[in-house]
This record gives sequence, C-alpha cells and structure tokens, in this order.
Amino acid sequence: MLARPALPSFDYVRANNPDEVVRLLQEHGAAAKLLMGGTDLFVRMRDGVIRPQIVVDVKHLPGMRAIEYDEGAGLTVGAAVTMNQLARHPQVQTHYPLLAEAANSVASYQVRNRATLGGNLCNASPAADTAPAVLVLEGRLVLHNPQGEREVAARDFFTGPGQTAMRENEFLKAVRLPPPPEGSAGKYLKLGRNKVGDLSIVGVAVFAFPDGTKPSGYVFRIGLASVAPVPLRAWEAEEVLATHSPGEETFALAAEKAMEAATPIDDVRASAAYRKVMVRALTRRGLERVWEALE
Amino acid sequence: MAELTSNPVGKNTPRVDAYEKVTGTAIFTDDLPFGPGLYYGRLVRSPHAHALIKSIDISKALEVPGVKAVVTGQDFDTRIGLYLVDRPVFAKDRVRYVGDPVAGVVATSEDIAEEAAKLVEVEYEELPAVFDPVEAAQPDAPLLHPDLGEYKVANFIFPEPGTNISEHFRLRKGDVEAAWPRCAAIVEDTFRLPHIQHVPLEPHVAVALWEPSNQVTLWTSSQSPFAQRDLIAQSMGIPHGNLRVISPYVGGGFGGKAGVSMEVYAVAMARAVKGHPVKLRMTREEEFIGTTVRQALVAHTKIGCDAEGNLLAMETEYYFSGGAYNDYGVNIVRAAGYSCTGPYYIPNVKGDSYCVYTNMPIGSAMRGFGMPEIHWGIEQIMDQLAEKIGMDPAEFRRRNCVKTGDIILTGMKMPAIDLVACIDKVTKAINWGKKEPPSAPHKKRGKGIAIMWKAPAMPPNPGSSAIVRFNEDATVNVEIGAQELGQGAFTVVAQMAAEVLGVPYEWVRVSAPVDTKYSPYEWQTVASRITWSTGNAVKAAAEDARQQILALVAKHWNEDPANLDIKDGIVISYKSEREQPLKDMVIYGLPNENFEGWKGGPIVGHGKFMPTYVTNLDFETGQGPRAVVHYTVGAQAVDLEVDTETGQVEILKIASAYDVGKAINPDLVLAQIEGGAVHGMSSAFEALKFDERGRPLNPNLVDYRIATAADAPREIHGDIVETPLEDGPWGARGVGEHVMVQTAPAIANAIYNAIGVRFNDLPLSAEKIFMALQ
Repeated sequence: MLARPALPSFDYVRANNPDEVVRLLQEHGAAAKLLMGGTDLFVRMRDGVIRPQIVVDVKHLPGMRAIEYDEGAGLTVGAAVTMNQLARHPQVQTHYPLLAEAANSVASYQVRNRATLGGNLCNASPAADTAPAVLVLEGRLVLHNPQGEREVAARDFFTGPGQTAMRENEFLKAVRLPPPPEGSAGKYLKLGRNKVGDLSIVGVAVFAFPDGTKPSGYVFRIGLASVAPVPLRAWEAEEVLATHSPGEETFALAAEKAMEAATPIDDVRASAAYRKVMVRALTRRGLERVWEALE
Repeated sequence: MAELTSNPVGKNTPRVDAYEKVTGTAIFTDDLPFGPGLYYGRLVRSPHAHALIKSIDISKALEVPGVKAVVTGQDFDTRIGLYLVDRPVFAKDRVRYVGDPVAGVVATSEDIAEEAAKLVEVEYEELPAVFDPVEAAQPDAPLLHPDLGEYKVANFIFPEPGTNISEHFRLRKGDVEAAWPRCAAIVEDTFRLPHIQHVPLEPHVAVALWEPSNQVTLWTSSQSPFAQRDLIAQSMGIPHGNLRVISPYVGGGFGGKAGVSMEVYAVAMARAVKGHPVKLRMTREEEFIGTTVRQALVAHTKIGCDAEGNLLAMETEYYFSGGAYNDYGVNIVRAAGYSCTGPYYIPNVKGDSYCVYTNMPIGSAMRGFGMPEIHWGIEQIMDQLAEKIGMDPAEFRRRNCVKTGDIILTGMKMPAIDLVACIDKVTKAINWGKKEPPSAPHKKRGKGIAIMWKAPAMPPNPGSSAIVRFNEDATVNVEIGAQELGQGAFTVVAQMAAEVLGVPYEWVRVSAPVDTKYSPYEWQTVASRITWSTGNAVKAAAEDARQQILALVAKHWNEDPANLDIKDGIVISYKSEREQPLKDMVIYGLPNENFEGWKGGPIVGHGKFMPTYVTNLDFETGQGPRAVVHYTVGAQAVDLEVDTETGQVEILKIASAYDVGKAINPDLVLAQIEGGAVHGMSSAFEALKFDERGRPLNPNLVDYRIATAADAPREIHGDIVETPLEDGPWGARGVGEHVMVQTAPAIANAIYNAIGVRFNDLPLSAEKIFMALQ
C-alpha cells in the first residue's frame, strides 16, 4: 500500500560499453532496468511498482553525457545529459530555447541535477515535460541495438503510458534535433498546482517559423503533455494554423482543435474536463506568445 | 570575537542554534549512533478503514532470517491517550482506519523488517465505515468505540458513550432566539475543511531501548518529552523514574509531534528484544496517514447583526472529524467550543462543538488547534454581513472585535489586547480600500482581510520549570524541558536569562538535548506557551540566581543588596562603586577577610511557573470565571490575483500584525509571521484526499503540494503590536500558531473581492476556482 522505507536490494552494474548493455538486456530481459538519473526508476522501485534484479548504469558510456551542436547537422544530446546541463548549455539556449525552457520546467532544481533527457523520454510518462518540445522540434531518438543503431522519430516513439517503440534489446543513446528553421520561436507552458516541482496537469509546447509554402505563411507545431495516454502532436490544430492567417480567430480555432485532440483522464491532480479546457487556454496563450516573438 | 550584547530582551540577537543548523552539524534523532546492536522496527498496517481482526498469524514473519520479534495487540492490555485514553498500543480486536497498526516487526535491518511485515497474515472481517463527521454523529452510524464509556477521561472532557461523539462542548450565552428578529442581516451557511498534514521537514522517528533491568530509554523527535514519559509510563506500566526520554533538536513539529503518536510502538517493540535499541522511523508516506493529521471540520454557522453593524447573535455547530482515536483531538474541539465566536464580542451565543470518531487518520494537534478550522467560516460570514449592511469589512471588524475588558462568550473578562491596532496596521500595509489594477487583462485582483484569536488550549495547570547555573568563567547554562522546534525557544530563553542576570547574551548556553532525566519539568512545547510559560520559569530561575549573587556580594562588601546591580557580568555597587566580576565568585564563592574561611558556593537558580487561576466551565453553558490563561490576537490582509483563464491564484502580498505583548526577539516574531503566512497558503490550497473506502490518494510530496519558497508572496509584511500581558515575562505572549490561523479565509475574502465568488469548502484548487467562474 505504502512505499517501502528504502529501495529493495538489487545488483548494480556500471556498463563500460554499449555491447555490454545489450548483452545484459538480452540475458536478463525484464529483470534488468537501465539507470540514468534514477529519478523515476528508484521512485518506482521504492513504490513497489517494479522490482528489477539488476540495474544497469548506462550514463558513463561514451557520448551519453555530451551535447554537440553543428550548424548543418543540428543538435545531438546524449541520453544521460541532465536537465540542468541541457537548460544552461549556451548553444541549446541560443538555438533551441524551447528545449531549454522545457528542461528547466521539470521537477525542481535538485531533481534536475539528476534527471536526464533520455530518462524523461524513455520513461514515457504522458506528463513528460520534455516530450512536447522534442515532438515539435521533430527530434529523432538514436537507439543502440545488437545490429548497431537505428533512429526513431519522436512522434513514433511513444506508444502508451510507459510504453515506447524501443525493443527489449535496445537502449537510447542520444536525441537528435534538426537545425532550427530560420526565424523560429517556441514556448512551453506548464500548468502545475504550484510554481515549482509539480508534475504537469497540462503541458503545451508551441513552435513556429515562417514558411512560404504554407497558405498561412507559417508552420506552427503544437505538442501536448499530460492529456492523453502519450505525449502527442495536435495535428488538426497545426493544419488550421497552416491554412488560416495567424490572428486571434485562427488561434482560438486551433486551440479548440488542440482541445479536441486531448483525451485526458481524471486523477488526483485534476479532472479530465478541466484538463481539456486548460489545453485550449494554454494553446491559445502559447500561440499568442509565439506569434508575438515571430512578429 | 563578535560583539557582546547587553540587555538582549527586545533585541534581534542571532539564534543560539543558527550556526549548527546552517552548517549541518545540529544533531537530530536519526543522527544518533547506537552501534551494531541496533534493531529496526516496521509496522503492519490495516488496509481497511473499519474491520474486526479475526486472527493474526505471525509465524511466517518470525521465520525470516534476521527477524527478532513480532508484537501484536495481544501482547498489550492497555490503552494510551492524553485527554481520553482510547488508543490501544496495537489494534487488538478491530482496526479503525486505513493504516491502523496491527503488529510490529523487529529485525536486524529495516529492509528485513519490511519484508517480514508483509508476511504477517491478518484475517479481517470488514465493517461498515463512516467518514463524514455529521453522518458519524447520527444515532444509527456504525460505532467505532463501543467501549467509550469505559475509557479514562480528563474531568473537562465529555464523551457520549453509545455514540461516536467523543466530546461535546456546549456554549450558551444570552438568548439567540430573542435576538434573531432584531437582526438587520443574517448569514447562515455550511463550511467544510478537509484533513491536512503538518509535513514537517523531519519525519517522526523514535528509538527505544528496554534494558534487562527494566530501565527504558526513548530517543525521539518530540515536542513533548515529559508528556511522552508520562503517557507511555502509564500505558506500559513503567515507573516514571525508570523511563527516560531524550529528545534532540526537532526538525519541525507544528503540533504533529505533540503528545504520543508512533513513539509508543517503538517502546512496545523494544520490550520484546530487551537490551537492543529498536529504531522506528516513518517514511514520508507514513507521516501523512500513520502519525496525525489536522481534523476535518463541517461547520454550520449562523450570525446576525443590526443595521449599524453590531453583531447580535451567533448559533453554530462544529462537527470535527476526529478520526479513529481522539485521545488528543477532544481538547481541540473543546477549544473550538469555548472560542466558537472567533475574536468578536457577540452578546447572544449558542454553540455546540462535537468531536466525532470517523474511520479516518488520527486527528490531533496542529498549529492553531481548532482555530484555523472555525475561523474559515466565521471570517467569511463577517465579510458577507458587512456587505449586506453596506459597511467596509475592516470597519465592521473594528466595531465588533473583542476588546480589553469585554466579557467574552464564556463569561471571562478579556485580558489586555489591541486587535484594532492590528487591523489598522494591516489595512495600512495593504493599501486597503484602494482598488489596484491586475498585471494582465485576463487576471483579476482583489484584497481581503481576516482577524483571529487563539488561547493556549491546555489543562488548567500545565507547569514549566527552569534551572540556571553558572560555569567557572561566569558563562551560564539554562536548563529547560521545553523543546527547540525551529521556533526559537532556546534563543528567547537565553535572552531572558541574560537580561535578568546582567550577563551578555553570548555568555548563555541552553542545555540540550532535552532529557527527562536531567532537564527540569515542562508540560509540552505546544499551544504557543513557551515564551510565556517557560519564559516565566526562566525569568524566575535567573532572578533566584541573581538574588543569591547580590546577597553574597552585599554581605562580602557589607552593603545593602538594593544598592547592587550586575552589568556585563560584573557586580557593581551604585553606592561604593566597587566592582566584583562574576567569574571570580559564581563557583568558588568569596573569601572572608584574610582568608579566614569562605562564603557562597556554586550559584544555581531555580524557577517555576504554573497558571493557577483557570477554572472549569459549566457543563451545560460553558460559562466560568476564567476559561483560559489569555488570548493572542491578530489580523492579516491579502492582496492577490486570480487568473481567470486557469483559476490559478497568485498571492502578491500578505500583511500580518499580531499583538505579542512584548517581542522578546522581533526578528523571530517576524520569522514566525513569514512562515505562518506560507503555511497558511498551504492550508488554503492543498488537502489530503481519500477514496470512497478511506484509502489515501495523495500521501506523498508528489501529490500533496505544500507552498514552496517560489509560491511565497513577493512581500510578506509584518507588524508587531505590544500590549503587555499581565503575567507574561516582560509582557510577552505567544505567537507561534496564530500566524496562520486566518490566512485561508483572508485569501478566500480576497478571491471574492477579485471575482465575486465565495468558496465554502477548502482546498481552493485552481480547478475549483476556474469551474466556479464558468
């Protein structure tokens, strides 16, 4: 019923190379869990939700804690880069301020010293604060497996609460983001019960940039957290914004569509009804803020 | 060396514990070393809100390697409790809330104890449960304590056997029925407060050692080392002299560490493994449901006033959800009864305050002790009455608030206070009456005010004592049994002792930890009573020591003690201008002429204080000459914004003013005011939630959101009013609890001012506010 006083016992292995990780995953199957920051894993172990026999620490593998930016290739963030590392990285702040903003909204400063981008995404909580940003920035997840590696688009990654497209013998090595489009702007709005440290009741990321090929002259992307089994894009809302000229009416219509895309649940944090209308309110607010920045 | 502070009373001396706490060297109970013989305990808790225990099988748990003992209710015959002895040491024949301990497992590690606890097999027969106090008070409600009539109870508490009512306090004054027709405005409504928890930084922890010689020691994070000694000694059949309670610093109490909660389980488990200390500590989750909570309340209240705004009558019923055991909670309900009007003079009053058993966590002391609960409704009704007759709510309060010399609801004459001055201070600080613009078009701004009173709620005769003794260099040790909870008790007693003794503040140490074997008696560190009660004892002890010193030196100099004084650690004579440093005499005494013998000796001063004037109240009417020792009063005003698109509230400013009689340390008073305002915000915006079977939904810090530093208002303004208390040291009275009592209704009044919507039920979630706006 209640959480244990401390973690149950388990074996800890610090992995030295990617192949060792794959071998351990194949050997132990579901009894093995990967450790990065541990801010979700250990909580779930203490709560008795999971009880892995072996915990494989992957954050010391080469490249796992590196952030690399290249004008042509874009940004590569090692899966074990911490939220604080990400949020204060100069090139992330300059070229991907939306990602920095989202990372900085996760939990509290102390937790952000441990929590990682990869962990946040692989944990696949519908409330993951970085997921909407990675979705609208069209990120791709680099998965290591026995064959080498493969990339999965963020939009295809989340398959259910706590479920991802990652196979049992795979692990996340890095997240790649394409170079930011010229003149882009973004905003992440998070509704919590208090100002710091809460899980999102609703999270909305808005990202936009000029694009002459669109009837409206702009591409707008909207990512939602905490309002469906998985973090998701509000495709119909985005379509409205691609086809209607930006302004109050369009934003209201798009916000309505975003609300329709949300299929939230009632829980101890908020009701589904409140969450839905908050998607509308925050989407409209996010669109207005981003539009101000674009203009 | 830092500068020395003479005559420190009224000055902002630094806390005596500041350095230890800032550097992390302060010792708390869980830090104490106990060596390799230490065992750990874990509790087996009921998954049901109400059930009979058919059987308990501990055999599988006992087989686990490392398990040393398993104890159950069958091992103990007695109950425990402060005012009403209603709580078994472990649930024996029935469980009464989700989390009720049915067994304790002792093992060589916490992990083993936890694993083994899962193997204790308990067969239950579920019973109908009742969670709402109004339902539970009905004659046909499921009965939680069929044996209520057999429980030992304090002579001022009145349970009603055969029902779930563990206390019923009646207040009858004047004639309410005759007064209603004379009222120009009447407001009648029902207000509800949910359970909340104290959320101390340091969860409960206790270590007990039962020696083979039957000497028992309990190390505990406690506001009440002496009360714990008394209650545990009685219930476990230990002679008081054989039970020693040692309590290091307490990492926050707020009432949750008053009396006995989980500590008795540690002692019970230690008895089964004599010679080994047993450590029992609550997880954060257990802290929420396995220690104590603030009682929930349903209040039906009706108040009326005439066209000029004079309050004429009040009728109220308070139904407190006391939870499974009301051993401490009954006195909260009594306090709510004898203070049921709030800080107002009302000539006609009919009040009924009920403590009702419910299948909920144990309701017990929490900062304010019944007052935040009753002020939630009262302070909103006052605003509504003011609005009805077209009077400014602050002016309405000035007119009706209790004043010095008033004969208040119990028939007691109100000791000197100045609540009007408090109202004046906060209205000025908040720019009362000035409508200010919100920061954005989708926001609405509002201001609200609320006032309060609270008396220390205690038995009539809780005692304090103190010892003051000198070291060779004339530094001083003050010994008290009162506890440092973060509120600054040790600092103010050091200031008081230094002031009386004429030594610099920096020379005074306060002996810690509190240890019932060595510390002088103190009832409990509760009820905002320490500055006043322990302060009086320390002042008396220091005066005793001072008189010993002056008598000795006067004899030595052949002078009249009346001409002597002590300044900065030196005895001086205003007549002969002679000087005698304390350091040369407070231990060794003084030599006679030509060293023909000596006089004096180590200086040790003793002091005590106990109020002797509180009377019992009439059972039928609640009337009596002196219901309480005194009241502390205060006002708060809130300036806030409501985001109409989300329902979120941002508190821009809270202004508080309290009449503390005399601020022994003004900075510490202001620190209480700041902490109280933020604590009050938490009480307005968050609550414990339960499912339909009484199981907690948010017993953790993920989903029980207390206000953080980031949520605190940009400005918390504090004002201190000083109307001396007749029997307070330097006129001081307590202010530890009062600072959060009326915060929630002040916020609710400000929200009404902003958006025109009233909320009768807490918590004020953003969702609730948003939905009300639709």
